[in-house]
Amino acid sequence: MLQNVIIGQYYPASSPLHRMDSRSKLIAAFFYLFIVFLANNWVTYGLLIAFTAVTITLSKVPMRFLYKGLKPILILVVFTLFLHVFLTKEGDLLYKAGFLEIYEGGIIQGVFIAMRLLLLVLMTSLLTLTTTPIDITDGLEHLLGPLKKWKLPVHEFALMMSISLRFIPTLLQETEKIMKAQMARGADFTSGPIKERARAFVPLLVPLFVSSFKRAEELALAMEARGYRGGEGRTRLRALEWHKRDSFALILLLLLTVLLFVLRS
Amino acid sequence: MQGTPFERRALHDISLDINDGTFLALIGHTGSGKSTLIQHLNGLLKPSSGSIKMGSTVLEAGGKKQDLKPLRKKAGIVFQYPEHQLFEETVEKDIMFGPRNFGVSEEKAKKTAAKVIEMVGLPQTVLEKSPFDLSGGQMRRVAIAGVLAMNPEVLILDEPTAGLDPSGRVEIMELFYNLHKSKSLTTILVTHSMEDASRYADEIAVMHKGELYLHGKPADIFNQREALQQAGLDVPETVQFLMRWNERSGQNLSLSNFTIEELAKQVSQSLKKRGS
Repeated sequence: MLQNVIIGQYYPASSPLHRMDSRSKLIAAFFYLFIVFLANNWVTYGLLIAFTAVTITLSKVPMRFLYKGLKPILILVVFTLFLHVFLTKEGDLLYKAGFLEIYEGGIIQGVFIAMRLLLLVLMTSLLTLTTTPIDITDGLEHLLGPLKKWKLPVHEFALMMSISLRFIPTLLQETEKIMKAQMARGADFTSGPIKERARAFVPLLVPLFVSSFKRAEELALAMEARGYRGGEGRTRLRALEWHKRDSFALILLLLLTVLLFVLRS
Repeated sequence: MQGTPFERRALHDISLDINDGTFLALIGHTGSGKSTLIQHLNGLLKPSSGSIKMGSTVLEAGGKKQDLKPLRKKAGIVFQYPEHQLFEETVEKDIMFGPRNFGVSEEKAKKTAAKVIEMVGLPQTVLEKSPFDLSGGQMRRVAIAGVLAMNPEVLILDEPTAGLDPSGRVEIMELFYNLHKSKSLTTILVTHSMEDASRYADEIAVMHKGELYLHGKPADIFNQREALQQAGLDVPETVQFLMRWNERSGQNLSLSNFTIEELAKQVSQSLKKRGS
């Protein structure tokens, strides 16, 4: 049921992408978020698609797995596509039926925006799919380290992140469990009018909230019992290591950026 | 998920008939597929191959969608830690949730709630309380009452006593056993405990690595101690005692009397015999 949601999930494999330092991956993913917006014609979009495709291949995460996980987001992508196709009135008129008017500019715009969304989601999913939550947190803490000077609680922030990432699968499991229990009592989550269906989720959400609060409390207690008191003076078991391939990946990304600047119209 | 590193075949090659009115204990090590098996029984999980027949309903692999409500009404499942499923403002409303879903009128559901709350050994006054104000053990009882209120013909219990104290365990198990007898239910009990299985079950099915490993009358199962040990289980303590007793004394006490009371009687009789 919910096993297809892959947001925040880690896909165990051994690939060049898995072996990269989490810091370089974080920087790259963040950087990528910006350069996606540089693309504005077919050539630049082609370039980005090629780059993303190569990255996906390198990650060894099977396409089918990605596709399954992204299905819910695909609906959003398709929705954006159609919104633009029907509402943008630019370029030549291609088709007219009653009040429906489709323009060339609309199609192009729609495809571009949908592409942009898809690329963004793909790349960010790849980050979590190829990096364990612990690595992400460590990397983030490192990268945000300088902000400590301004008394920002960087360690706590990173910890919060890793806890939420860590508990996404737990929460999904719990959801499935309670859903099943209520379905066994005749609850129906999948049919009926919208209003009733929304009400059908109360028996699911209340137990989820209750158990989440309980779990948070237990976790806090367990951490305190083991002497946790924040990041002050805390050492690490696993040190992050920056390799040549990390520098190489970032240089590649810079090259891509330059190319995008040159080729965009 | 098929075709990913997360793929795992949970169950295979299981053929199990359960007759009406049987008390079946489904036993096995953690991860042996017990819970997965019972979730197939009321269509919460669908088989990827093979079929399940429950009364007149047949669930087949790749079969078309059908209305599962009659099946779910017929087979009530008490899940592990059922108290996690409580959500209503009052105990009464929560118990009524099941019956209301199956189309029972409000009035009738209220009456049912009053009846089942007594069945699980709680006073009527609890009905007006919020389920979240109750103790863990009471919450468990309320959740069980919520399943009983559906008036199922088949009662499926997934480790209903997990996390309870010893006296609570006995009380809950006795409750289920009495219901089984008085309402002539078909009961399927998933458990780790050989003691519970030996005390209540007419039949025992042992699961091991997703397969049905052994199935038969308790006495027959306990005679295959080595096979049980291979599956990471053992015979109940009483049977262990009987086996040792027979070994040391050279007597041949029947292994089929293995409740603690019967055991005591048997042993005292044989001691008397010796004395005389």
